[in-house]
Amino acid sequence: MSETLRTSDQGQVLADIRRALGRSETVRPMPLEPFIEAPVVTTSAELVARFTEEITAVVGHAHRARSSAEVATHIARICADASVRELALSGASMLAELNLPAQLAAQHLSAVVVADFDSRSRDELIAFLAGCGVGVTAVDYAIAETGTLVLTSDEEQSLLVSLLPAIHIAVVHQHQISSSLATVIEKLNHERMLRAAPCRTATFITGPSRTSDVELTLSIGVHGPKALHVIMLGEDSNDARLESTTPTSA
Amino acid sequence: MSLVSPDLTERSHTALADATLQTALKRATDTFIERRREAVAGVPDWEALRARARQIKEHTINHLDYYLEQLVEQVTALGGHVHWARTGEDVSRYIIELARARGVTSVVKSKSMATEEIELNHALEAAGIRPVETDLGEYIIQLAHEKPSHIIVPAIHKTREQIADLFAEKLKVGRAREVEEITAIARARLRHEFLSAGMGITGANFAVAETGTIVLVENEGNIRLSTQVPPIHVAVVGIEKVIPRFADLSVFLRLLPRSGTGQKQTAYVSFLNGPRQQTEIAHDSNSPNEFEFHLVLMDNGRTRILADEQLRESLYCIRCGACLNVCPVYQKIGGQAYGWIYPGPIGAVISPQLQGLKQAGELPFASSLCGACRDACPVAINLPDMLLALRAKAKETEGAHAGRRKLGESMAMRVYAATAQRPKLFVAVGAMVRRISRLLAKGGKITSAHVSPLDEWTRYRDLPVPTGRSFRAWWQEHKGDE
Ligand code: SF4
Repeated sequence: MSETLRTSDQGQVLADIRRALGRSETVRPMPLEPFIEAPVVTTSAELVARFTEEITAVVGHAHRARSSAEVATHIARICADASVRELALSGASMLAELNLPAQLAAQHLSAVVVADFDSRSRDELIAFLAGCGVGVTAVDYAIAETGTLVLTSDEEQSLLVSLLPAIHIAVVHQHQISSSLATVIEKLNHERMLRAAPCRTATFITGPSRTSDVELTLSIGVHGPKALHVIMLGEDSNDARLESTTPTSA
Repeated sequence: MSLVSPDLTERSHTALADATLQTALKRATDTFIERRREAVAGVPDWEALRARARQIKEHTINHLDYYLEQLVEQVTALGGHVHWARTGEDVSRYIIELARARGVTSVVKSKSMATEEIELNHALEAAGIRPVETDLGEYIIQLAHEKPSHIIVPAIHKTREQIADLFAEKLKVGRAREVEEITAIARARLRHEFLSAGMGITGANFAVAETGTIVLVENEGNIRLSTQVPPIHVAVVGIEKVIPRFADLSVFLRLLPRSGTGQKQTAYVSFLNGPRQQTEIAHDSNSPNEFEFHLVLMDNGRTRILADEQLRESLYCIRCGACLNVCPVYQKIGGQAYGWIYPGPIGAVISPQLQGLKQAGELPFASSLCGACRDACPVAINLPDMLLALRAKAKETEGAHAGRRKLGESMAMRVYAATAQRPKLFVAVGAMVRRISRLLAKGGKITSAHVSPLDEWTRYRDLPVPTGRSFRAWWQEHKGDE
């Protein structure tokens, strides 16, 4: 692979760096003291309210559901509004547990689970997704203070479901919502990154794709999805939750 | 294409005489300043975040060799390829050879200052490989064969009518009326490019040493498409982009969007760990991974900056653009007048370094040293001090500029340089200048000063009257707060 290509200037660049810093060998630095932020006390209901507010602020749509049937009903309504009959589902176990394919079939929709996509060719899958009106995914985390969804995936197909179709619908359990970016970075770090087989890709999604490149005028749906719907699943709860970012030990 | 900036004065005059540009610049900088102000106000511990970001950057840059070695180890362990490049030509050559070896004839590019800096597109085109810029602003600039005017919104100098005409001419489409139509045309065109390209080329906002993660921040989704659709992803990353730990992102991802576009968070942030993994299709599980990830670590003048203790902190820059928006000079002349891809105060500092002092030595003079850039910078880079140091350096090496300016102004510069090096005198003279300025002011602005050297200065701009207190006085009072 790259070994057969040009030789790398690793030694030379590192030598230039060391010379610039006035040393002849790399020294292992003492890591910085951790950055400790005040813990946040919040309730599930507050988180849902804030999350909803922020999603709306970035031109996303937030929906509530108490059961898998209600999730399917929301999806069916979004599809009907957009005149979509065929949709793509990511292979997330959460969607399977909600029995969504069968629920959607009952609503006369044809839901293709990408993990079962009946083709050997990735190109065909991409063409299918690019032409697909709606893609449904689960999420791994959510951030209330910015209205952000966090999707992680080792399987590239599932990521494409949140990217290529015109509309992205994400299903999130209320208990997956955290208050702050700091909390979610900490979770992502410990649960997905610092492990023997780290996740390949994580994506933060905050609203549908957008641009202000022409006269600073906001325009929605430039390259990614043109609309984002978030369906929050779960009952309201006013139990206090304590969130703190425990510092990473170096 | 030469990197030499032929005549800054000439370009500035052109910019000042361009009414469309003046309107666009005013609108853009006013909007960004206001959005940023609101976004920052929503973060109670903003100053603590800035201080932390600066601390992390300082620590990393002082141990750059260590963190780069760690980064390379992690990326390699994830199955990525790493190439170190001393110069821009090395970067281009590597990418061209890779493209040829894989039979790639078209590449999709997402906005990246690093690849613009090295003029990668020219090199690719010369090698018969077609680069397509996919960020809407960059796409417009590429079609128009122009240079970006802002690092966040590159085509901000063009009106919707001009863009509609450009699309109609180059893409043979009907003339769009609304911004939405322009966006829809670009979406349709570029979708096709994403699906057919053999390679996606991006920069990176951050590269995490601890985990080997490449982090990319965007709004349009073109970076997601460039990195997730074509089988090969190449990230061209300046060596200063490394940060030690994944946890550090919690600081930078709060500072960058708020400082850049005034958003709490951009629409997308991608965290990429090595090449994607092929989903196992049952009958095919033994075939090798069809995806590749290449990290190209680029020096291209950065170790030269690193060696200069006075300028080293310009490597802390996270390219947010905040210092451009608040700069009274940038607000008037825009990005193109700076003659190179890095405009504004940060451009005035790093362009001469990256290109060699001779080529852009005049840029440090395109600033008013008002200090607004330092106050806006999310990593608190001391831009005014660096500009001053560069001016002094330029003065030492050549007297050419002095001749071109009025004697008064050049003398003032010399006085400035001399006093700035003597702290007590600097404070005293500063107080005097503030007092005189207030005498010249009408309604809070100095609109036309007939006192040399201010007359040259106020020919095209109003000079805000300095507040009664100097930044230094304020700082002395407040630095204890942190
Ligand atoms: S110097 Fe500071 S304000 Fe300017 S672009 Fe860089 S990080 Fe942003």
